[in-house]
Amino acid sequence: MSQAQRRAEPGAGGSAGRGPFRLRAEVVESEALPAVHHRVVLRAPEIAACAQPGQFVHIWCHPPAEIDRPPCDALLRRPYSISRLRPPDGVEILLRVRGVGGRLLAAKTVGDALDVIGPLGNGFRTWPDIGVAVVVAGGIGLAPVPALIARLAASGARVVLLAGAETDEKIPFRVERPRAGRATLPEVAALGAEVTFVSESVEGILITEVVALRLDELPEEGSAMFACGPRAMLKRLAEVASGHIPLQVSLEERMACGLGACRSCVVPVRCDNGTAYKTVCRDGPVFDAAEIDWERLTP
Amino acid sequence: MTAPDTAVSIGSMSMKNPVMIASGIFGYGDEFRGLAEYGELGALVLKTVTRQPREGNPPGHRTVETPAGMLNAIGLENVGLEAFVRDKLPAALEYGTNIVASIAGEAVEEFAECARALDGTGVAAIEINISCPNVKKGGMAFGVDAGASAEVAAAVRAATGKPIIAKLTPNVTDIAGVAVACERAGADAVSLVNTFSAMAIDVESRRPLLAAGSGGLSGPAIRPAAVYRVYQVAQAVEVPVIGMGVIWNASDALEFIIAGASAVAVGTALYADPAAGNRVLNGIRDYLESHSIARLSDIVGSVEL
Ligand SMILES: Cc1cc2nc3c(=O)[nH]c(=O)nc-3n(C[C@H](O)[C@H](O)[C@H](O)COP(=O)(O)OP(=O)(O)OC[C@H]3O[C@@H](n4cnc5c(N)ncnc54)[C@H](O)[C@@H]3O)c2cc1C
Ligand SMILES: Cc1cc2nc3c(=O)[nH]c(=O)nc-3n(C[C@H](O)[C@H](O)[C@H](O)COP(=O)(O)O)c2cc1C
Ligand code: FES
Repeated sequence: MSQAQRRAEPGAGGSAGRGPFRLRAEVVESEALPAVHHRVVLRAPEIAACAQPGQFVHIWCHPPAEIDRPPCDALLRRPYSISRLRPPDGVEILLRVRGVGGRLLAAKTVGDALDVIGPLGNGFRTWPDIGVAVVVAGGIGLAPVPALIARLAASGARVVLLAGAETDEKIPFRVERPRAGRATLPEVAALGAEVTFVSESVEGILITEVVALRLDELPEEGSAMFACGPRAMLKRLAEVASGHIPLQVSLEERMACGLGACRSCVVPVRCDNGTAYKTVCRDGPVFDAAEIDWERLTP
Repeated sequence: MTAPDTAVSIGSMSMKNPVMIASGIFGYGDEFRGLAEYGELGALVLKTVTRQPREGNPPGHRTVETPAGMLNAIGLENVGLEAFVRDKLPAALEYGTNIVASIAGEAVEEFAECARALDGTGVAAIEINISCPNVKKGGMAFGVDAGASAEVAAAVRAATGKPIIAKLTPNVTDIAGVAVACERAGADAVSLVNTFSAMAIDVESRRPLLAAGSGGLSGPAIRPAAVYRVYQVAQAVEVPVIGMGVIWNASDALEFIIAGASAVAVGTALYADPAAGNRVLNGIRDYLESHSIARLSDIVGSVEL
């Protein structure tokens, strides 16, 4: 009998020594979103009970009962950020369907089960006296943003979301363009953030340029920046933020184990004598931007 | 019927059952802890260590998924012998089953030094990795040459009283010849296969998908090729053969056993199912019971041509 059918068992990884858990999670919502995006909500009590914004889950995309048969594709699990928690025990992920794994997940219907390991990695660190929290997201990098905004807003910070994409179709949320004023993402704004959205095709500006322009508005004390998106965006942000505002970035890399064991997913970090490597899956996915060796990070 | 006898001996290492975890798959054992009962398995082979720490291949993709398989080019990133013995081994020994250390080096003497340092530790056996396709020096450079492989095996034999397992590369013309050379030099067992040298290319950028260019292929794609090599080697040597090459379920494991493997190691399958080893073990037991086979050893090498 597959272990996936057993109750969740605590493992060693994850933050604060809780989890990761492996469980058979029921799909309680599955919704196609505009363009190639999809929302899946899983009932995953053990994960929901301890997940932090920025952490991710590692999903076996085939039916749990078929774990004893090696598939020809989607052999490895797929990492997806926890987008937000849906009390009492739901975990929502937002995915852009890119390849076979995404297609399999998007085909799940309510009542299907998924074999999931999580929560994994270290999420965004937040602290009580953040005055202004600037969250910067590009494209599908918006996926983990709802949980982060909810956390920051609950801690009393003023949350400013600066989001961008090539086109409106490249994000998992609906864009609203009022006749007067800036484009916004109503669903995200409702979580307690002041939202600015720019698309290169409509507004013709990169979100990193917006960030650079607005950095001066921020109070010197008590501001913090959080970012998720393409590496080029994160690298540019690291330059802009350096010396001005503490920045945390969420990185992606190809994974095998997702647990920190196989050393597949390493990124270069600065250390006293040159560079060292840290794993995206266990040390990250969220890192202090100052820690990353941006010169050696592949584009 | 009493429970079938699944015990296997590799030199002086006795295993309660034939299922092992392959080297490099689950690091030093820390990170997977709690996701399955690894202590139930016959032996756990830890990530290959070298005398000095190695940072492995440069950043960029170190693994990519391919049809029915995956390529890896980790480049033997490891904490080095000293930190391994001090920081990693004690926790691994807590699993309460045989812990096998895997060692590699750029020179014969490096293998011997590692073996000597491990001789006084709690490891149950030492696997010599002369088959890593992902490092420029050492690794497979030894494994593709029967003479060089024998030299490493002999040096390690002289350095330790622990059972030694020579891990072979399939990237040779005559794998049985290399196996025999290792056996003559004093190896207590041979394990195979390590990964097949391989490459995948992004047709848009016309660059290899792996940052290192090429890597090693594991996964269901290699299984028949691995089974055949286990068969060839088992025909040629007297010592036990440990078979691997995506063992995903009990039937896969039994194929290797019937081809001539006394024990099997689970690798890539662990990434999908951290409990794959336990699942394989239970399935082997079920098979033995349902076929009224009293001892696993009764079917080792029982393939009829
Ligand atoms: C920590 C983390 C969090 C992520 N969160 C999200 C999210 O919330 N929403 C979302 O849509 N996507 C997210 N991704 C990217 C997502 O994992 C990939 O889109 C997905 O693995 C693609 O699988 P596929 O089979 O659909 O595509 P394919 O292109 O067929 O995948 C082929 C192989 O490459 C790997 N791969 C491809 N793209 C990526 C990538 N960007 N990162 C890591 N591995 C990749 C796959 O896992 C698979 O092994 C995240 C990635 C990481 C590392
Ligand atoms: C990510 C990864 C890392 C590996 N690292 C090692 C290693 O350090 N030493 C070693 O002897 N084999 C290593 N291997 C090879 C495996 O132990 C095994 O021989 C091979 O993967 C074939 O078995 P499988 O198809 O079941 O995975 C590694 C394999 C993978 C996939
Ligand atoms: S995926 Fe194995 S170490 Fe990160």
